Amino acid sequence: MSNIAGKAYAMNLITPIHGLRVFANKLIFWAVGTPVAKLSLRGLKTLSMIHYARWVILRSKDFPHLASNQPKEDLKYGYMLFFSNFNGSWEQYVDSFSAAIPSGLNLLWWKNIGWPNAVPEQPFHRYVESNQIWTDYYYSSYPMAASNDVKSAELVKQKLCTFIGNTTGVSPNEFSQRYNLLLKDLQCDLGLLDATPIVSLAAEEISARRRAALAKPAPAAGRAPEPATSAVISAAQPHNQNMPNGQATAAAASTATRARKASARGKD
Amino acid sequence: MSNKTALDLHDVQGNIVKPYGRYGFPKARYVFFGVRDGIAGRQFVSKLAPLVTTAAPWRPSNVGPKISPIPEVTTNVAFTYHGLRDLGVPRASLQTFPDEFAMGMRARRDILGDEGPSAPDHWDPIWRHDEHVHIMVAICGRDEACLERRYQQVLELAQASNSGVELLTGHRGPNGADDLPYQAANAIYEAGQPTAKEHFGYTDGIGDPFFKGTGAHDATLVGGGKPTGLPPETAAGWAPLETGEFLLGYRDEAHECPEAPAPKLLSFNGTFMAYRKLHENVGSFDSYLEHVGREFPEGKEALAAKFAGRWRNGAPLSRFPTEGEANEFAERWARAKNAINQAKSHIERVAAKQHFAELNQQFVAFDYQNDLSGGRCPVGAHIRRANPRSGLQYDQLLAFEAPGALSNRRRMIRRGLPYGDSQTERNDAGDHGIIFMAINASLRRQFEFVQQQWMNYGNDFRLGNERDALIGNHPVGPLGKERASVVIQRDQNDTKPPFFCNQLPRFVETRGGDYFFIPSLTALRMIGEGSIDPT
Amino acid sequence: MPNKSGRAYGLTTLCPLIGDQQDDQSYAAIIKGRLRNLPVDADSPWAKIPNLYMCRMFVLDDVFYQGKPAHEDHLKSKYLVFVAELHGELEPFLEAMWRVAEDSIRDIWEFCVAFKGVCSTGDFVRYIKQCQVETTFYFNGSNDESLAEQLKALYLKQELGKFVRDQQAHGKDPVQLQRAFSDFVARVEPFNLAGPTWRPGASDLAQAVIPSAGASPVSNRS
Repeated sequence: MSNIAGKAYAMNLITPIHGLRVFANKLIFWAVGTPVAKLSLRGLKTLSMIHYARWVILRSKDFPHLASNQPKEDLKYGYMLFFSNFNGSWEQYVDSFSAAIPSGLNLLWWKNIGWPNAVPEQPFHRYVESNQIWTDYYYSSYPMAASNDVKSAELVKQKLCTFIGNTTGVSPNEFSQRYNLLLKDLQCDLGLLDATPIVSLAAEEISARRRAALAKPAPAAGRAPEPATSAVISAAQPHNQNMPNGQATAAAASTATRARKASARGKD
Repeated sequence: MSNKTALDLHDVQGNIVKPYGRYGFPKARYVFFGVRDGIAGRQFVSKLAPLVTTAAPWRPSNVGPKISPIPEVTTNVAFTYHGLRDLGVPRASLQTFPDEFAMGMRARRDILGDEGPSAPDHWDPIWRHDEHVHIMVAICGRDEACLERRYQQVLELAQASNSGVELLTGHRGPNGADDLPYQAANAIYEAGQPTAKEHFGYTDGIGDPFFKGTGAHDATLVGGGKPTGLPPETAAGWAPLETGEFLLGYRDEAHECPEAPAPKLLSFNGTFMAYRKLHENVGSFDSYLEHVGREFPEGKEALAAKFAGRWRNGAPLSRFPTEGEANEFAERWARAKNAINQAKSHIERVAAKQHFAELNQQFVAFDYQNDLSGGRCPVGAHIRRANPRSGLQYDQLLAFEAPGALSNRRRMIRRGLPYGDSQTERNDAGDHGIIFMAINASLRRQFEFVQQQWMNYGNDFRLGNERDALIGNHPVGPLGKERASVVIQRDQNDTKPPFFCNQLPRFVETRGGDYFFIPSLTALRMIGEGSIDPT
Repeated sequence: MPNKSGRAYGLTTLCPLIGDQQDDQSYAAIIKGRLRNLPVDADSPWAKIPNLYMCRMFVLDDVFYQGKPAHEDHLKSKYLVFVAELHGELEPFLEAMWRVAEDSIRDIWEFCVAFKGVCSTGDFVRYIKQCQVETTFYFNGSNDESLAEQLKALYLKQELGKFVRDQQAHGKDPVQLQRAFSDFVARVEPFNLAGPTWRPGASDLAQAVIPSAGASPVSNRS
């Protein structure tokens, strides 16, 4: 499923803000971005699970208008778009924010219509879920690297290059000693990398089907691809296989709803 | 809720709150049944209910009359999703149970990393069929005889059902047996005494989460609760966890009463459990320790300690970084324990108990703030992965709402016993392992999360894809060669370089299990009566 | 500049879709289908764009109704949302994007308002800038090195990790160690971003290493 590209997950949220408050929300972001307020981002940086994230606040007039026959937007509310590239599952991400930096979140989503507060968790989960838009296509140039891995790698590169410079022409014994010091210096940065663990069974099922389809020649050219919902339903089917027929449809429908919701979170 | 006994402990099953092993129950049988007929199944459950052990305290109360004496055997009951279904719990109620519970553990294998040698193809036959296991009856006894009596009693109840309730066989055991009628488990004995050890030689079962309402002794708060940021060697360093992390129907650490299966009477005072049979490749483990222990500068025992985060005698690396210190502590502890038995007066005994309790606390009263680089307890050590305490805030104190913000909701109650005879030949094909049970309010958020993100992965610890040395599902590369590796960090002042444990074989393999719901006594009776109504 | 965080740039574009249909499917639905079928990871058309860290695309159908007392609100058009995290300046990025992926771009943007007029690199750059909305706040949780630098660093981290583990097995001889390290440096070329590195979009280790930036993967049995 396309919210996921290896270790990265793409979350998109769109939430309304009362038109008159848009200015205030923009001011909050401006303040957060100033050097003085860098401290307030400490929690966010320590969570360390984000590659890049952004907030975009739009009013009707900000929506691109490219031709006279394109209708102009005339929205009652301003809108905040949130785009995040993070690591781990949907649930881990949302829960981490709720548990670790709820007041920061409350500040950034201040007065968004229907914002329930980052704590407690369940209303917050529902708010995020109901305002989340599926990514149709997601690309990461390093699916096998989490944000921690990218940061760690840069440190390793720098220290390795410095080390090479400092040890040109030294004796083997001197080299050996300095090599040990380098290792010690990098001892928290030498974990090996590999593909992501499977955080979403539905996503994995779809990827597996895709790989299988690519391996086989296509049965008939020009067939429209399966719509996403039926792929999700069949992904969720395994535990319904033994149900009596009469109940299967209802069960499949409700399981599909659960699975659809779960897939949106990349949860199941 | 303060920690006074606010829970109705008579309504909560005993295995949730009491580690039976510590109360002198070194033997167990885990017996599983399939329900073939709803009426017979419900009758079976109703007849089991009076046998079920509750969480009501056994120890004599200081203030009131003596509470129930310790029984000779304990019994607890749990159900899979399909068990509840076939016992007639209505669909409207079933659909309110969590997805992962409904799917069952086998269907969750990709999340749990149960692949390769741990894949369901290799599980004991009883665990390999869809929707097969319905009811679990766990029996713990003081000895074989007590165990056998209760077992026969339970079997008779099942047999009275005229095949409506079927005893499920298909457990593997020693000498190639693969169709046994129950899973046996037993403490490992040394010098005729039961120990808390498992087959790799580690002392297990240290550290239980401390949560509100159980009336547990205050002393167990230290190290068992959640970190407050104050010194972890003191009581002020810990606060009780919310009950809702471990029992359904209570406030949890997210400041709410989380959704629980409907109707409330069905889930209240109940909880979920992951039951896993974990085979231990003792041959590979011994061999690895032997060979790599020779290369490791501090030796084989220290290497074993670095894997776990504790010396095999249980002393935590964080407080006892050297083998000498750990052994010295173990001696003091043994002497203190002895002193209780040898006390000649009441005052002496009270003092001896106090001293012993203080030493006991040292097993758990620590944190990782002064060991962020992992020089004492490696960043990826087993106990540090299982419970990072306040370590996930790294060096950014006060960056989070609470020091344990990222760990407080990942705690689990662990129960279980080893299985297999420690005296038999120590090789990988031998029948050695542990029956591991994780008890928590949310399988997905607690057990599954720790298993997937913290045991079989390393990103939260900034270790890339590194897995837990002991239980991680270490991969093999092409040509079947092991390619997993863990790093053992060094202290800042240490001139030696970090040590790499290369080519780690998979020491632990999953051999079966499932997800269970442990109902309250009230809910158990209602299931037996068939009176669950979510409308 | 709110679109930036250091040298990392957050490009947010909302490209309005023509509200029409073809063969009984709305243009929006057709585009969604095409997006779902775009090759992923290292096979992605976007993998060839220099300095693209990550990007996502989706069709924004409408805003969400929050329920009473909130008012019902609706967009008058659907939008193809293209959000990219990139390194460096926008124009060179867009120029390169058109150069390496023109066919895929035409395929995905086919039904966007006024896109028919886009025929050249310059047209594309202008078009995207017209569709660009300003990022209010850009948070960088990673770093702002060039993509080549990030990929090289990941490659080096992995190779060094393997090297040090190998070396421990070989024992303590300093002469051997120094020689082995020298061979290692010659092989991995730490100072040469154009040398061996990780392939953009690589999702499994067997296909990750390329002998030089832009080449095909070598079989990497690790």
